Parts: sequence; C-alpha cells; structure tokens
Amino acid sequence: MDLKVLRATIGKEFQIRLRAYPVDFMVGCILTSFYTVFGAWMMYHYFFRKRLATDFADLAGTSDYMSYAIVGSLVYLFVVRTCLNVSRRLITELREGTLESLMLAPFRRTSYFVGNMILQTIMTLGETVIAAIIGIFFGLRIHEFCLWKFITAVLLSLYGFFGLSLILGCVMIYARDTYVSQNTLFAAIFLVCGITFPKEYLPKILQMIGDIIPVTDSLTLIRSAFFGGLSTDRFIHIGIKVFIAGTVYVFTGLPLMKQLEKITLEKMEG
Amino acid sequence: MIEVNSLKKIYEVKRREKFFFIKKEKIEAVKNISLRMEKGGIVGLLGINGAGKTTTIKMLTTLIEPTEGTYTFDGIDAIAHPDIVKRQINMIAGGERMIYWKLTAYENLWYYGQLYGIENNLLKKRIEELVKLVGLEGKADLPVETFSKGMKQRLQIARGMINDPKYIFLDEPTIGLDAIVTQELHKEIRRLAKEKEKGILLTSHYLSEVEELCDYIYLVNAGELVFEGTKKDLTDYVFSGNRYIFSVKGMDEAIVIKLRDYLRGIDFESEVEHLGGNAVISSKAELSSNIAAFAVDEGLVINELHKVEPSLEQAVIKLSQNIENKGIDIA
Repeated sequence: MDLKVLRATIGKEFQIRLRAYPVDFMVGCILTSFYTVFGAWMMYHYFFRKRLATDFADLAGTSDYMSYAIVGSLVYLFVVRTCLNVSRRLITELREGTLESLMLAPFRRTSYFVGNMILQTIMTLGETVIAAIIGIFFGLRIHEFCLWKFITAVLLSLYGFFGLSLILGCVMIYARDTYVSQNTLFAAIFLVCGITFPKEYLPKILQMIGDIIPVTDSLTLIRSAFFGGLSTDRFIHIGIKVFIAGTVYVFTGLPLMKQLEKITLEKMEG
Repeated sequence: MIEVNSLKKIYEVKRREKFFFIKKEKIEAVKNISLRMEKGGIVGLLGINGAGKTTTIKMLTTLIEPTEGTYTFDGIDAIAHPDIVKRQINMIAGGERMIYWKLTAYENLWYYGQLYGIENNLLKKRIEELVKLVGLEGKADLPVETFSKGMKQRLQIARGMINDPKYIFLDEPTIGLDAIVTQELHKEIRRLAKEKEKGILLTSHYLSEVEELCDYIYLVNAGELVFEGTKKDLTDYVFSGNRYIFSVKGMDEAIVIKLRDYLRGIDFESEVEHLGGNAVISSKAELSSNIAAFAVDEGLVINELHKVEPSLEQAVIKLSQNIENKGIDIA
C-alpha cells in the first residue's frame, strides 16, 4: 500500500466533495434512509398491524421488527453510498477527462481505491449517524450491544463492500453506464439481502443470490452486535464467510479493473 | 533514446447489426510505424486523414499496448516494463482535459506529484517553479473551474512537467492559447530540449509550429509512415526543385502565358501559375537569370523576383494532395 497516494487521494476527493456537492445532496441521502424506515414503519403499523410471522424472531434473531428494519436500512444507506462512490471513481475520471493523466502516472491502484473507500466511509458514517438518530424516533432500540462484535462486523463489512464496489466499478466502466448497473445492484441488495425482512422468506434461488452478496452476511453480523441472537461460534463462522467473499471480490476486482482500464483507454481512441 | 520499430495497433470494434446482432471488426489504427526520439531533440509527428497519431502517442506513453512491434526506452523493453517508462515520461494534451476542475491549480499539481511519489519538499519547490513558468502566480489557489481556457492549458503544461520527465509528448499543446502565451511556450519547449536535454515529440495542427520547433518530422497517413526527415528533406521531396515569385508592373495573364512559353523553352517541365498578381514559377532548373532576361527582353519593370523556400504547410498540403490523387511511395 502506497501511503502517499492513499493520503493524497483522500485529500483530493475531500476537496472535490467539499466544492462539488451541496449540503442538500447529503440531505437527500439521509432522506432516502428516512423514507425506507418510514415505509417499513407504515407497513408494520398499518399493513401488518404489528403482527409478525411466528418464525420471524428465529430468522431475524430479534422480535423487534422496527429495530431490525432500521438497522437494515442504515446498512443499506451505507452500502449504497460507499459502493456508489467507489465504483464510480474511474468512470467519473473518464467523464471528467482525467483518466488519461491518472493512468500516465505509475501509482498503485489499490491505494487509490482504498483512499476513495476511506473518505467515503468517513463521510457516510456522518450521514448514517444522523439517519440513526432519526431511526430512534421510529423505534430503534439496541438490546444487547457487543463492542468487539460491532468493530469486527464493521471492518469485515467494509472489506466486503469494497470488493463489491470494485466489481460494480468494473461493470460500470465496461458498459460505460452508471445508472442501470448501480440501480440494478442496489435493487437486488434491497430485495435479497435481508434489509427489511429476513431473506429466508424469499424463494431459494433469490436466497442463493443473497448469499453471494456480502451485504447479507454483513448485515447479520451487524445486527447480532446490536441485538445478540447469534452465538460467538456462529458469528465467527459468518465473519469468515464475509472475509472469503470480500477476498474473492477484491482479488477478482482489482486485476479486472486494470484490464478494463486498458480497454477503456483503447475505446477512447476507437 | 526512444526507439520503436514496426509498431502496429489493431483494435477490435463491435458494430451493432440489426437490433440483437453485434459484429466484431478489426481496425488497424497503426500499421507500421518506426521512429526515434533522442534527448535534446524535438520531433514532429504529423498526420494526414485520421493518421493514427493519437494511437501512436498512447502506445509511446504506455497507455495502450501495441499489437505488434518493439519499443525500447533508454535500452529497456518499454512494453514489458511500462512502470519504469511512466516515471520518466509525461504527456501534455491540448484542450482543458487532464486536470481536476474542482481543485485549485496548486492542489492539482500536488496530487499529481504525489502520484509520481515525489518527495514533499522537492514537490513544493517544483510546483512554485512550474507555477511561475506557466504564469499562474497569484492564481495557484483558485479553483481551476474559474480559469480561462488558456489558464487551464497552462496548468496542464505544468502538470505535464511535474515529474521532470526525460521525454515529453505534446499532443496539440497550444490549442486555445493566445499568441503571446504560445510564443512563451515555444520558447520553453526549445529551452527544455536544448538546455535541459529533454526529448520532445510534438503533434500539432499548426504546421508553422512544427516548422518552427521540430528538428525532424515523421509524417503518417492512415496508420503508415509516409515520410521522415527534416523540413528541408520534406520540401525537397515534395517539390523537388526551385520556386520563384516574379512580378512586374502591369502583370497580367498575357505576360504569364508569354513567360510560361519562354521558360518551357529552357525547362520543358517548368510550371508558371498566376497567383495574387504574381507569377509563381516551379522548376527543377536554376531560372533566376532567365526570368530576369525575359523581363529585360520584354521591356518590363520588375517589382519582385526572388526564390522562395516552400513552407512545411505547403509541402504537407501538396503531399496529401498527391496521396489523395495518385498514392505515393512510402518513404
């Protein structure tokens, strides 16, 4: 890891965000989380009339649906914001006309992407905290907080989300598209990763798709850090799964990205 | 020294046929280009009709890999070791690309400097020098988006020199610059080559710029090298002879016709054209004294009679016309 490039990338991205994005963009992101939580609250209170399936507590690890849904939507907000920004980096460089000058320099791509991920994580954490405060008014309660599980879960999740961002970035730069690819992935995450309901309610095939997206297991780990309901052995087992999935994504994504850079630079010509 | 031999680049292009079918096609953007760049020299890469100049530059800057051919960079295989090459080269392109508009000029240079791993104190010093060089003192802390086109271009030039490259690729570097800044840049390009021993490759649509700066010229057409040599070699190759401008008091078409008949008696292949009130004479023979004698014999008062060196622009235009009309031998 090249720390010079890492630090410089964080600094550059921070300055760009500071000058490029108005505060209402951040408000918009928090509102997305608010709407998700509000939607879940409406469904729970007026559609389900607070009645949950008998197996919900077994599958979710808690019988507190609103807390379950709110944590899910906070993680969803986090995934969307980090994946979106990290995966879009290269295609943004391409659109802004800086891809060539960037690729002319002999720097390590890993530092560049990790730098983007770190900055995005810091920025998104701020938004997530605000969204979490809003969540309290909708019934967010922490039942059994475990610090080491929380830290482990967050670190593993970041690793998994980073890998996911790289793969999404590859799709974006290959297809030269951001909207269709990102929205398809985010819709899939919302549907199959257990954001507002346990994925076990879905057909087997959709559950399998959910299993290969690291968000599903990350969410299980984070929820267990807040609500318990998962033994330490099970926590470690799922943690290893997230780590392996993240590693597969990272070690597929980075070399693939390098290949796609070349194709992109050729396409710029052809 | 940079030396490329028989460089070739084939792109695979996908073309949509009907709605669902995609046909793959291979396009040879660069067919066979060999060239050399030496430290301290300025070479021009000129192109006619989608020549493949940009593809060639991208291969030389290791942004893309050639399909075939060899590329050695100071004795190193550049295709196998692009990272070594990248540290010692840079590219400056025309237009307003290659810089971050949301950053200030200083932040841009700092960021690129960090990507090249330049030590911080050295980088600070270099940025100060470059900002001064490109005339952006007092503006370095302003966001680039507030810059004029010329200022952005000047910043790009500074960016292209941030790593103190041994070889610099200039792709239309003066597009959008005013005459004064262009002149300053020309001076700087010459200084970089002659005093700092940088090897420079220049592409430009302004042929006068190439003529002014380049010691050696490569001319490419449709991905192939059609000529290489000095400007004089090129004009000699294209015009192969002498050109004279001749004008007399009361010059008209009748005088031109008479002169043409007279000179064809001396050189059957000579050509006389009536252009802008002058007779423009092309001939392989030395005709100055004959033209003067014609004027004396006809009792004409000579306004102007001198031999002209054809410009690079005239040579390139003539060569491209030859290529379009009848094809040309590849040099």
